Amino acid sequence: MSSQDEGLEEEQALGFSTVIASTVHDMKNSLGMLMQAHSALAAKLPAELHSSREQAIIEYESMRLNGMLVQMLGLYKLGVNQLPLQPVHVEVEDFFEAALARYHDILISHHIDSSYSVATEGMLGFFDPELVDSVIGNVINNSIRYAKSAIHLRAWLEQEQLVLAISDDGDGYPKSMLEAQSDYILGINMSSGSTGLGLYFGARIAEQHQRNGVYGHITISNNSALGGGEFRIYLP
Amino acid sequence: MISYNQKRFLIVDDFSDFRSSVKSMLGQMAAKHIDIAANGEEAIAQCRNCKYDIILHDYNLGEGKNGQQVLEELHQGGLISPQCIFIMVTAESSQAMVLAALEFEPDAYLTKPFTRASLQQRLDKLVERKIALQPILAPLAQQQHREVLQACEKVIKAEPRYAPLCQRYKADALKALGMHKELEAQLTSLLAERPMPWALSMLGNHWLERGELDKAESSLEQGMSQFPMLPALYDCLAKVKVAKGDLIKAQTFLEQAVKISPNSPQRQAELGKLARANQDPERAIRAYRQAVNLGRHSKFRDPENHLNLAGSLQDQAGDGAPSPKALLEIRQTLGDVSKSWKNDPGLTARADLAQATSLIKAGKQSEAKQLALNASEKLGSLDTFFPAETALEVASQLRALGQADQADTLLSTCAEMYGDDPKVMAGIAEQTSDPAILTAGEHAQTHNREGIRLYQQKQYPEALESFRAAQAMQPRNISFALNTAQSLVRLLINEPTPALREECMACLEQVRSMPSSDHRHERYRKLCERLASL
Repeated sequence: MSSQDEGLEEEQALGFSTVIASTVHDMKNSLGMLMQAHSALAAKLPAELHSSREQAIIEYESMRLNGMLVQMLGLYKLGVNQLPLQPVHVEVEDFFEAALARYHDILISHHIDSSYSVATEGMLGFFDPELVDSVIGNVINNSIRYAKSAIHLRAWLEQEQLVLAISDDGDGYPKSMLEAQSDYILGINMSSGSTGLGLYFGARIAEQHQRNGVYGHITISNNSALGGGEFRIYLP
Repeated sequence: MISYNQKRFLIVDDFSDFRSSVKSMLGQMAAKHIDIAANGEEAIAQCRNCKYDIILHDYNLGEGKNGQQVLEELHQGGLISPQCIFIMVTAESSQAMVLAALEFEPDAYLTKPFTRASLQQRLDKLVERKIALQPILAPLAQQQHREVLQACEKVIKAEPRYAPLCQRYKADALKALGMHKELEAQLTSLLAERPMPWALSMLGNHWLERGELDKAESSLEQGMSQFPMLPALYDCLAKVKVAKGDLIKAQTFLEQAVKISPNSPQRQAELGKLARANQDPERAIRAYRQAVNLGRHSKFRDPENHLNLAGSLQDQAGDGAPSPKALLEIRQTLGDVSKSWKNDPGLTARADLAQATSLIKAGKQSEAKQLALNASEKLGSLDTFFPAETALEVASQLRALGQADQADTLLSTCAEMYGDDPKVMAGIAEQTSDPAILTAGEHAQTHNREGIRLYQQKQYPEALESFRAAQAMQPRNISFALNTAQSLVRLLINEPTPALREECMACLEQVRSMPSSDHRHERYRKLCERLASL
């Protein structure tokens, strides 16, 4: 194939992904309206229906859907170089509280306890809160699905890097996934659906953060204090 | 536990469903005083009537102003205090908005959809933060920058978690106080620790203002390699290039900034200006067209963009006639000026002249002549005179349209008001060789220079005599009048006689028609204030 054809093909691919991205964008807005309408409707329901199983499913799955759409848009923007990093100083406790507050109702309906801890009170990080939040949000979403009764967020410093970790008391990541984590991170293997996409997205966002030549990264393991899986994002 | 029952809320959103859903969330948090607005205009009107504690504003309100424009107007109009919490509610990721928010940032962004728990967590945190920062915010509201500085140091010690915020308040205060050395030291040490977008752009601007162009350039370039998507850095680098006289490079940087963040009318206008100077009418047309469209709902709607759009369309046609499509756009754009600024004879006259110029090219001589006559008539009754650059442009249009007398009148007023500036005189000399205009100010200028020398030697009564002589020859010259007035004010302090007072007032009255964009306007205003207080 000549180089001219390659260029053309690339252009077409970009054109197509732009169409997809703009559709995803509309889907996300549509979903937003749906979620808003649902919560307005839910507020009018009698109390015994508030904590029904169906309610919990609607809430959880809409958040999951929303998270996936955000990731898809994020990956598209990364692809066309339109995802500018806006790092600011962030109070880590506040950041955790806000992330958990978003899942407040869902955590309750799934009977999952949530908690967070930071190495030092008033701890500050320097990162893009919106991008990192979309990564953390998706991990929390997955944890809610697999956790038995608890998830925990933790932050500490490791060799001048900020580490944010999300762990749960579920069965942990499958062995095959742990062994092949670099494939997921590199985007080679996405067979496990949203989890795989989440890892790839997380890795891309992490590496956008750098300081003095050190780049951010992510890891997954099953050595968590709660006994289940643990996701870590390292931010220099 | 933070109580919300005493707080005044304003919810701004074009969807009534969303307003009522947020209202009910706030109601559950015991909020009592909740106002709503459906668009930016309403929001601004309500802020005039009520000092809100917390404003939840949707960014995208469809037609009309967006959230960022409203926030800017609230700041410019002094309708929002530093203590007020302004939350920008966005339907999608806030990236594009953050980039457009150059100067006025909201306290937080909140992405739709959100739950009550999220809203409460956000609000609790922001209220807590404003309370902790109150020692800084209170003097800031009074523009007491020294007190702000002291408070910053205290808060940084007492609450390290707010240190990054305090550093920004500190930098702003140092800038407002003109403490350049301290500002430079602060920014350099912050940046040595870690590159931060706001500090990089502030340091770049600092060096630009100090005339340290190379330093500005290298620090901005370094910032760009770290944050390639930050338009503020490109804006600043473009200014550095302009200061270095490299307008072509400046234009490329602004083109990049516009590509990243196309929604600022000011940035588009800046690009249009450079493109016109670089004889790139296609780019100028696109930029000014955007500036006109984006400015439509903004308080900073600038008729110069309309006039420049029409001018660029004419540039594009060169000596030939503009295409019918271009003619139509010129007509519509200028028609908009005449309609929207109908009470400003200077502007409508300029719109008439621009329109007449394009009609001549299109072969419609008689219509053009009529418009030129209209314009001439309006120019006779100007309350505020043009800036020198505009006066020169208008004079040359008048001459091309056969209104040589009116052109000369304009040039002679221009020479009188701005003649002490050699650049202006050079521009006038390009258009006329009439010695009456070109040399009228020479003697007056000699007197003025003598006056300045005497004033610097603190020989105030003697300086006044020289300034008086200069002003008597050219009563409308801005510099001569202000110099005379300033000498009079100095004498009035020790010797407050009614005669001197009256003379000073008459002096200032002579230059009342100076455009507010003139760099001496601030000095004029201060002298008026000073005189009133004596």
